[in-house]
Amino acid sequence: MLSGGARTTTGISVTIVRDPALVRTVRLVAAAVARRGSRDEEFVEEVRLAVGEACALLVGADASLAGVADPVEVSMRLEDRLRVVVRSGGTVPAEDEPTSDIDGIEPWALLRGLISDFSVQRDVDGTALSMSWPLR
Amino acid sequence: MDLSLETRQEDGYTIIEVGGEIDVYTAPKLRDKITELVGNGDYNLVIDMEKVDFLDSTGLGVLVGGLKKVRAHDGSMRLICNQERLLKIFRITGLAKVFAIHGSQADALAER
Repeated sequence: MLSGGARTTTGISVTIVRDPALVRTVRLVAAAVARRGSRDEEFVEEVRLAVGEACALLVGADASLAGVADPVEVSMRLEDRLRVVVRSGGTVPAEDEPTSDIDGIEPWALLRGLISDFSVQRDVDGTALSMSWPLR
Repeated sequence: MDLSLETRQEDGYTIIEVGGEIDVYTAPKLRDKITELVGNGDYNLVIDMEKVDFLDSTGLGVLVGGLKKVRAHDGSMRLICNQERLLKIFRITGLAKVFAIHGSQADALAER
């Protein structure tokens, strides 16, 4: 347990192929890492949801990611904060497709609503979603 | 945990009892079930989410898509959900105002 006393850094990286079935595995790992930092189950649930959501976005049910073979890398570091970066090749559209099921809903609404420290970087290598939480 | 779907008819409504995790992997199963029901003429749906452990935006998208489908036939979709962690997701995304969310099957079926 890291709360109180000397705090050591925990770093875990998980790489998965672009298979939606594996997103659940990443969620389980994210929850385990969050639990090392806090016993607050609400916090753990929030991290599980956010990391799963970010991972799902990059694994991509999205047609724009079809054919992108790069794996999805998730790195989590437990320091003064829990810092998570989810990265992959391909570019996730910033706006929803008009024909999508979630027509009219900002695609990042859930992530931005869940996390105050959330950013998206897009470059030639792909997309990286970064997020962090203070430990509770 | 995978997704479980059980359907039954009650009081003129088709109730879908959903269990497990609705995510990017499993949400298509729910979408297919809703599409199948609407295709069979079941336009008044109640989605019971009491046994849902996890819901992500893909699942939300399927629910919104289902709502559109039944509304196209002048039907309705009601949700049963009293788990705060799921209700929070509906609030964050603004969907708490879009769906009729009830605390129990009795409440959902009582409203006419």
